[in-house]
Amino acid sequence: MSALATTVLAPLAATAAILLLRRTPAMLALAGTAIGLAASLALLAGTFGGEHTVLTLPGLPGLPLRLLAEPLTAVLSVLVAGVGACVMIYAVGYMKDDPEPVRFFATMTFFLAAMQALVLAGDWLLLLAAWELIGLSSYLLIGFWYRRPGVPAAASRAFLYTRSADLGLYLAVFVLIGTHGGSVIDTSLAGGGPAALAVGLGLLAAAIGKSAQVPLQDWLQRAMAGPTPVSALLHSATLVAAGAILLIRSAPLLPPGALLATGLVGGVTTLITGLVALGEGDLKRLLAASTSSQYGLMLVAVGAGVPLAALAHLLAHATIKSTLFLGAGVFQHARGSTALDALHGAGREHRTVFAGFTLAALALAGIPPLSGFFSKDAVIAAALGSPYAPLLGPLALAGTLLTGAYLARALRILWRGDNRPRPLPGLAWMGTGFTILVALAAALGLAFPALEAAFPVGRLPETAGAQAAGLAAALAGLAAGWWIGGRRLLGPLLGWARRDFAVAGGLDRWILRPALVLAAACERLERKLYHAVLAIGRLGLRVAAAIRLGDERGIDALIFALVRGTVGLGRRLRALQSGLVHRELAITAAGTALLWIALLASAWP
Amino acid sequence: MITMARDLPLLWPEILVLLAGAGALACEMLRLPRTALAVATALLLAATALSLPLLSLDTTVFGGTFRVDALSVWAKLILLPATVLALLLARAELAGSDREGTVYALLCFTSFGALVLAGSGDTMFLVLGVLLSGLGAFALVAYPRDDAATEAAMKFFVFASVAGAVMVFGLSYWFGATGTTLLDDLATPGLPPAAIAIGLAGMIVGLGYKASLAPFHFWAPDAYEGAPVSVAAYLSVVPKIGALFALAQVARDLPPGSGWSGAVAAVAVLTMTWGYLAALVQDNLVRLLAYSSIAQAGYFLLGIVAVGASPLALLSLVLFGAAYAAMNLGAFAIIQRSGRTLESFAGLGRARPAVGVAMVLFLLSLTGIPPLAGFVGKLLLFGAAIDANHTWLAVIAIVNSVLSLAVYLRIVVALYRQPAGAPGVPAGGALVTLVWVAALAATLLIGLAAQPLLAPLV
Repeated sequence: MSALATTVLAPLAATAAILLLRRTPAMLALAGTAIGLAASLALLAGTFGGEHTVLTLPGLPGLPLRLLAEPLTAVLSVLVAGVGACVMIYAVGYMKDDPEPVRFFATMTFFLAAMQALVLAGDWLLLLAAWELIGLSSYLLIGFWYRRPGVPAAASRAFLYTRSADLGLYLAVFVLIGTHGGSVIDTSLAGGGPAALAVGLGLLAAAIGKSAQVPLQDWLQRAMAGPTPVSALLHSATLVAAGAILLIRSAPLLPPGALLATGLVGGVTTLITGLVALGEGDLKRLLAASTSSQYGLMLVAVGAGVPLAALAHLLAHATIKSTLFLGAGVFQHARGSTALDALHGAGREHRTVFAGFTLAALALAGIPPLSGFFSKDAVIAAALGSPYAPLLGPLALAGTLLTGAYLARALRILWRGDNRPRPLPGLAWMGTGFTILVALAAALGLAFPALEAAFPVGRLPETAGAQAAGLAAALAGLAAGWWIGGRRLLGPLLGWARRDFAVAGGLDRWILRPALVLAAACERLERKLYHAVLAIGRLGLRVAAAIRLGDERGIDALIFALVRGTVGLGRRLRALQSGLVHRELAITAAGTALLWIALLASAWP
Repeated sequence: MITMARDLPLLWPEILVLLAGAGALACEMLRLPRTALAVATALLLAATALSLPLLSLDTTVFGGTFRVDALSVWAKLILLPATVLALLLARAELAGSDREGTVYALLCFTSFGALVLAGSGDTMFLVLGVLLSGLGAFALVAYPRDDAATEAAMKFFVFASVAGAVMVFGLSYWFGATGTTLLDDLATPGLPPAAIAIGLAGMIVGLGYKASLAPFHFWAPDAYEGAPVSVAAYLSVVPKIGALFALAQVARDLPPGSGWSGAVAAVAVLTMTWGYLAALVQDNLVRLLAYSSIAQAGYFLLGIVAVGASPLALLSLVLFGAAYAAMNLGAFAIIQRSGRTLESFAGLGRARPAVGVAMVLFLLSLTGIPPLAGFVGKLLLFGAAIDANHTWLAVIAIVNSVLSLAVYLRIVVALYRQPAGAPGVPAGGALVTLVWVAALAATLLIGLAAQPLLAPLV
């Protein structure tokens, strides 16, 4: 129970501490992350021991917030915490010279807390809230270097793309709560209900946005404008993973139609973004396109009805892709750029890093005995074994082929070319995080049997045919990428791939521009409302002024006139007191006469 | 048969007051001013004590010409302590000056005149009282012998002469109509109303001048301003109350329905309003309090109007008389210690909180704010007027009370204002402090002790 809360609260406390103390932000972030990781590991140990922990918090009336520790959520929590810890260690070195470490580490730890809340969420409302929070913090992190040209636009693009897809999640969650009368995820996993397809498609839409699937794949590549640790954490293991995690968790409630749609979206994405990666001229953007592609494979697995395979590939990919990003970050530091043209031979300068990078690349391509081999094999087997095998099987194999091709191309570029070794500041921290991740990326496959054992339902599919086909595709892809080169391989498709296969102006026309137009309209409307409110306020002020004027000219004036009159009368009376006895006696005499007259008048009625 | 053996014991207080004056004068001749003060104070206090057993009496002496009734005895109980306080104030102000002891003697003689007024049952006593209290007062006002004092005394004297002449002229009609000088005989039926009216008018003028009722008040502000502050304090209290009580004595014997109450009510309205309006624009505090005391005299008339028509009338007069004596003497005492102008009061409330609070209490009491003495007195006066079917008069009096608040708040504001320049030199002294503390105690005690008397009113 306490470990469950600590998982979320430790990074959150780190955020608060960083913002309050405003010093040693890196160490505070590391501490918070480490405590969170320890709690996650404790949680995992507990759930593998058979525990099933639920923490219920007060939420909306009748809809309490729940944190849930079961094997799936615990594994994901450890993944988030583990990768988060490695990336945080790496970031200490990477952000050494940045002038705003406080903002960076505060946002990073806040993101980690939100992500932990997301993966551990036991009810739809908390999941929705965490979903929004990771969206917000990713916006902040992508736009971290907001003074650089293009960065704010990239952050806004990422935010708008994912937000527009989030509407699907809202729809799905509202329908689920409406049909099941509660927000607990476990009970709504029974599925069914009149709107099951709508729920499924809504969830798929949300996943497409967050996981950068076709047709919303564009934002992820542009999000590479953020710092490299952000790319490694958000755009490989966590933020992007949220879409896949959502589908993996909700897979039981997806009806067949939604499953097919999921598989198709994943298959098409893996193909298209694979081609994009092949034609890409920037290492980080290549890795980003690869990320979309790999999540496409996971969606294929979900669509094939084997979410466990998707989970395996998610775990493997998270470690591998983080490794690749961190390696790319080292090269970026070395060359001051991530453009492939500038990185010729960078790998030979930092051979150790290059070795780790290569290891991770081979793992992703699916070379045994590295982790990617097992997971990709499971995905291919699932695709081939599914009812939609004619559709999903070729797509999965094509994705595998392309993975090998673009990775080999990147490796070749990094290895060939001139090299001038230079010292690199912060390499110790960066190397530590990198090394741990390399080890994980290589060896994670060995943990899959344990993972299978933890899940009572289903096993990772494993067929000799699938293994052979996958390995063949991977090797073919690697060879093609190394010897032929991506550009020649793509041929006439190159230009289109460079433009991200934008159809009819791309999605900018359908999402970004409408959003901006809507925003402008809203701004105009708000300005009008603002002016209307101002006008009402001014009217009120005028009325008040009129009333005040009435008070002043009427009542106040009356009172002041009375006072003035009274005082004036007093002055006149004082003037009678002239000090001249005869004049005063005259008044006295007049008074006496009046008195006489009055008394005489009353005496004779 | 009139027997001196019966009458003299009833007159011991008056005799002691005379002896006090004479003793003080004798001591002054021996150049013993402090002894003069001591003798006068002791004899006045003794007179006060001897007045106490007379409280239950309602009789006359010297063949009905002098009354020993509640009004007369209460006048002694109020005026004699007030005279003592005035003696102390005079000692504080005039100690060491030439002819200091004569002030004490004159104060005693003037008080004797006021007592004669308050107890008079005969027109001759009225004239005697006016003259007795007047003669001493002229000398007191002129005591500093500077231009202002001399002019003030001269003006006072001229006014007194004219008013006195009108009074004697008017009273001669009464003598002609009744054949006696006794007030009792005014109630005889069948008297010619014109003669009564002319006599009454003359008497109102004479006593009105003494009590500084408008429009016979013109001497008062000048006289108070020219006189020493202690003398002003004394004049604003003792002769005034004596004259007003005399008016009440006359009113008791006037035939009902002769229209006199309407005339007195008109004088009351004029006096109150004139006093407060003129006070509103004064910057000299002595003049301000002079006008204030004029206005307060108008309030007394509410009780006099009700004499014979309301059982509350005499009670309200006595109570308000005591309250007025206490709060007015207290206010004058503080003016004597702090200065004569509004400016000299600036910041006093901050510099000397106790003095400031006392002054505020005196002023609030003069306004008529509960639970102070002035409130009780005014409430009874209003009650008496309403009881006597003069509700309109009570309403005007209440409206004037609002006006009075403006008058007195000007002083309160000054008390708590930041002083413009250096703080005024406090001319205090233990005697002045003794006086205002005693006055404050009286103001509070009368206010609290008289609360049960209000029960029938509310």
